[in-house]
Amino acid sequence: MDTLSLDTFDIRAYLREDLLPHFMCPGCGHGIALRALLWAVHERGIPKDRLAVVCGIGCSGRVGAYIDANTYHTTHGRPLAFATGLALARPDLEVVVITGDGDCLAIGGNHLIHACRRNLNMTCLMLNNEIYGMTGGQVSPTTGGGRLTSTTPYGNAEPTFDACALAIAAGAGFVGRGMTLQLPALKTLIGEGLAHPGFSFIEAISDCTEIFGRKNDLGSAPEIILRQKSGMRPDTYGNIVDRPFQAKAMRIGVLGRNDRPEYGAAYRAAVAARIAP
Amino acid sequence: MADTETSPPTNVLIVGVGGQGVIMVSKVLAALCQLHGLQVKQSEVHGMAKRGGSVFSHVRFGAQVWSPIIPHGETDILVALEWSEGLRWLDAMRRDSGTFIADTQQIVPPIAFRDRRPGARSGYAPQSPAAVLEMVGTGFALDATRVAAGLGNTRIANTVLLGALSTALPFPVEGWISVLRDFVPPHTVAVNLKAFQAGRDWVESGSRPAEEAARPAGARVAVAARGHRLEITEAWCKGCDICVKMCPERCLRLDERGLAELANPAACTGCRVCEWLCPDFAVRVLDGLGQPVA
Repeated sequence: MDTLSLDTFDIRAYLREDLLPHFMCPGCGHGIALRALLWAVHERGIPKDRLAVVCGIGCSGRVGAYIDANTYHTTHGRPLAFATGLALARPDLEVVVITGDGDCLAIGGNHLIHACRRNLNMTCLMLNNEIYGMTGGQVSPTTGGGRLTSTTPYGNAEPTFDACALAIAAGAGFVGRGMTLQLPALKTLIGEGLAHPGFSFIEAISDCTEIFGRKNDLGSAPEIILRQKSGMRPDTYGNIVDRPFQAKAMRIGVLGRNDRPEYGAAYRAAVAARIAP
Repeated sequence: MADTETSPPTNVLIVGVGGQGVIMVSKVLAALCQLHGLQVKQSEVHGMAKRGGSVFSHVRFGAQVWSPIIPHGETDILVALEWSEGLRWLDAMRRDSGTFIADTQQIVPPIAFRDRRPGARSGYAPQSPAAVLEMVGTGFALDATRVAAGLGNTRIANTVLLGALSTALPFPVEGWISVLRDFVPPHTVAVNLKAFQAGRDWVESGSRPAEEAARPAGARVAVAARGHRLEITEAWCKGCDICVKMCPERCLRLDERGLAELANPAACTGCRVCEWLCPDFAVRVLDGLGQPVA
């Protein structure tokens, strides 16, 4: 087949196959996002021994457990804090943080802005499924206006966060957004994030079929994933209450680059300058 | 059963893992007790247990119930929707007079696989149902999940166990059925009533523990017209329908078990959209030699 590339990527080489099938619900987008990450890791040629994946709590936190590499399951909202220590102590590792919208923006929101501010070399992959899936379907900072969740039985009236705008404003080195529906594009985006020497923040639009999809009557898994392209998320970001956050539609792709000095290198240089005579 | 105000309450402990319907079983029981004019107290622990973690629910009923918590070792009936959860709570039961009702279905948590080498032993509870039934006063170990699958919906395994529980309590069966009918979603009433009856029948027919449930089959490989192969790992497929609907050639379908299969090998072009978008890594496109393609 001339259309097929000879560069082989078999995701099973990067998975703990004895843990599969994974615990995610049928149609959950997190598995697709994990494939995008591992594909990007494969393309960048990062050996498994040099890859360190740090996860928080939630459905997204369990994603890392299936990766056959150095993985670290931490406390709710704190994967960025743990990863900061790891990346400072072991600059030879490729540190990747997998976190969810609630984990990253609500419980760990403070850690996110300071990780962006420091610009330490790591890649933060935020899986945005608009809900706290594992803990019972509570409203999250990215839940769209009017959406039904277990804590918003009359529809969500809270303004919605644009995570990428937040990361850009806080000074992240590389900011992008992709969707699981467009897997090769998301893979390329994550690859660029891994390559960037600084803090890379990538928002992957994922789906919650069983808890968010069912509660909001969004249909079957294929219908939900197709909506990523045709209006579900633009509506999410468009129907928000606060003007400053308002956007006409959700933007996809590389949203921000900032070539500030990387914190780890700057810190080591400062220490060396102080210690050396 | 508590007939006078001085007699102690009856204690039922329902355990399982998140998503199985532990709370549903306890709510049906609590509603039934209220219908009979008894005091009921129910308390539960859930939340982080959503999908896979430990869940338990205490139900206490009688003429007078003060505390919602069952004192340790005073559980009259232990209902386990998952096998190892049942074993976890065995010592909460009365040693001599307790009744143990358990599903032999095993939901193996990832923590049981600390040793990642292929073929390594899992850390899941090794005790066999027969050995555990020796240890309890009255015990029933049924493969409720398989019974439920036979009725067409594995999610009603909790109702099968509710049927088994109903034989251990002195309430008339009509009451159970009317509460169950009110409690479950309208379109599932018929199948839930069937499951309830199946659980009662199982206990009354005096069945013995079911044998080990068979794991789903491994990989199924179909050769497509252009020489490549499509490998579908049935044990991993969850039937989410994404590959079927996203295939540009519409050459996949869900079979009668709800698992993906290549229905039209002649139309498959090997574009790998199915492989890319499979959230469960169940689909692989292999080249003519059986090697994965990029």
